[in-house]
Amino acid sequence: MSCPHAVADLRPRPLLRLRAHPLKIALVGNPNVGKSVIFGRLTGRYVTVSNYPGTTVAVTRGRALVGAEVCDIIDTPGVNALEGPLSEDEKVTRDLILGGGAELVVQVADARNLRRALMLTAQIAQFRLPMILVLNMIDEAHARGVDLDAAGLAAELGIPVIEAVAPDGRGLPELRDALATPGLVRSGGDDGPSHLAWAEQTTRRFRTVGPMSLGRCQEWLGRAVREPLTGVPILCLVLYLTYLFVGVLGAQTLVGLLEDTVFGTYINPWATAAAAHIPLPLARDFLVGQYGLITMGLTYAIAIVLPVVTTFFLLFGFLEDSGYIPRLAIFSDRLFRAMGLNGRAVLPMVLGLGCDTMATMTTRILATPKERLIAILLLALGVPCSAQLATIMGILGGISFAALVTLFAVVLGQMVLVGFLASLVLTGARSDFIMELPPMRLPRFRNLMTKTRLRVRWYLGEAVPLFLVGTVLLFALDRVGALAWIAAVARPLVTGLLGLPPKAAEIFVMGFLRRDYGAAGLFLMARDGGLTHVQAVVALTVMTLFVPCVANFLMIVKERGLRTGLAILSFVTLIAVGTGAALNAALRMFHVTF
Amino acid sequence: MSRSNLHPLSMLRRGARGRIARVSRDLTSRAERLAAMGVSAGATVTVLQTFPGIVFECDQTELTVERMVARSILVELE
Repeated sequence: MSCPHAVADLRPRPLLRLRAHPLKIALVGNPNVGKSVIFGRLTGRYVTVSNYPGTTVAVTRGRALVGAEVCDIIDTPGVNALEGPLSEDEKVTRDLILGGGAELVVQVADARNLRRALMLTAQIAQFRLPMILVLNMIDEAHARGVDLDAAGLAAELGIPVIEAVAPDGRGLPELRDALATPGLVRSGGDDGPSHLAWAEQTTRRFRTVGPMSLGRCQEWLGRAVREPLTGVPILCLVLYLTYLFVGVLGAQTLVGLLEDTVFGTYINPWATAAAAHIPLPLARDFLVGQYGLITMGLTYAIAIVLPVVTTFFLLFGFLEDSGYIPRLAIFSDRLFRAMGLNGRAVLPMVLGLGCDTMATMTTRILATPKERLIAILLLALGVPCSAQLATIMGILGGISFAALVTLFAVVLGQMVLVGFLASLVLTGARSDFIMELPPMRLPRFRNLMTKTRLRVRWYLGEAVPLFLVGTVLLFALDRVGALAWIAAVARPLVTGLLGLPPKAAEIFVMGFLRRDYGAAGLFLMARDGGLTHVQAVVALTVMTLFVPCVANFLMIVKERGLRTGLAILSFVTLIAVGTGAALNAALRMFHVTF
Repeated sequence: MSRSNLHPLSMLRRGARGRIARVSRDLTSRAERLAAMGVSAGATVTVLQTFPGIVFECDQTELTVERMVARSILVELE
């Protein structure tokens, strides 16, 4: 083929300079200022957008057309600073800029807090890269009585300054135009303390703060959720609504509909009838037998877990975008401090309820290696993900409220105990608890829908194949007689120590692959009368304490190395079985029947 | 203004307003971390809540800190 230069020469000249590679434009700024929204607007690519700092913990790239030129747009994790002590997500951004990964920096700033933005401007300016400053959320700033002189600021800094409301697209055309004419920051103070003085001085010159016109409702809600007197009842209400929406509507109504009607009446009988024409018994069993791809794999994935995951993601997305989750940190700071963490850890922990694998990555927002390790361990040990939460509620909700409370109390108690011991054993320090509370907002319907759709699609693409692989594995194990062998070997453990029926051993095998898959197995077993109430509670407790899934294990290895990964895996398994045995003994000793 | 008007943020009551006089520096990087969040000398603060955690507004931004951190922030009351 011809050489690329010759081809390039034949193309019509773009308006801008011809480059060897697309211009690399990085979106940099404080956490939770809307970098990802602007990224989405520029590139047309959706990255998860939420209302809490730390939604983006890795770099995302996309392409955008600027004038006649195709540019690389890079979305980066939010940074409070680029120098001094940095958390791991902040290092990702600093390394990108240091490593020459950005040729133009668009600093996205929260218009409410110009001083803080300028502190960062001064630090970015030291890299001597062309810059643009975007004052985002200008509407919220105005509502708080903050008025900025963008033109004056632009003249002072020597770079384009654009006022924007990114979710509405306001200021985006201006930003696109400005990308062709960035500037180098003229002033910025020399270093450290003088950055501060410069930011302070510049802010005073170009900002006026008038009276607030903030909606009373927003202000009232912001206060209600953080004051203990109203905040605790609100938290209980939120949990109860979650139970109603996910546990009742999702896990009972929708699951019943899909499982009994769609699968029970149509798909499974139809598939069985169709498979009857297959002459090979092995192939027949493979599709519709006891461990059949359709009768087991698809039924679990689509009929039992999917409805719950969908309802959960909807509710969870709503809470994420409202700004409620970071406020939980105020209440939980003391508890987390007993575990060697601080209130910030509430973010990865609550995110773990959505997906432990993603949450393991979010632990990057924690400041010290010790905190990260404890958080990753606790996520693997105790935080049930959406799919599993669903099956737990489905099974135990049908038994009694006391059963549900017992399970969560045991799991939570185990997490606190392990966290406490880990904080004593592990060396290293805890960091200060300093956290920003984003404003409470009414979630945008479109973002909520997009986010839920993408998460459901992710579930279908990532979890369902694993369900099917798991089914195939079980089928194979059953055929070669290994399943019976495992059940026999595990018998003293499963029936003796945990007091469960021998068939539960199979379900634990599935649980190693994905614990929600194991939980789905328990769900069917419990409904068919295969488990007593005590057995259901014990089995689910053990399953909840297992490492969530293969993907989570791989993520731990990726973030913390193979040795730590294996150590966590064996430790967690030991704790899970030990706790189950103790719980079983205790429940029997006190003749609890639920 | 007299020096007696200086109080650590941890001692202030809800509703108290003032300007940050200084943030004490120690061996940790606490002061730098706070400055990066906009908490530094000159910023105006309003205490919003004192229990279970300290919540205050600083330059239109709501922040929450633990008591230990609040002790190192000295506020000059209005």
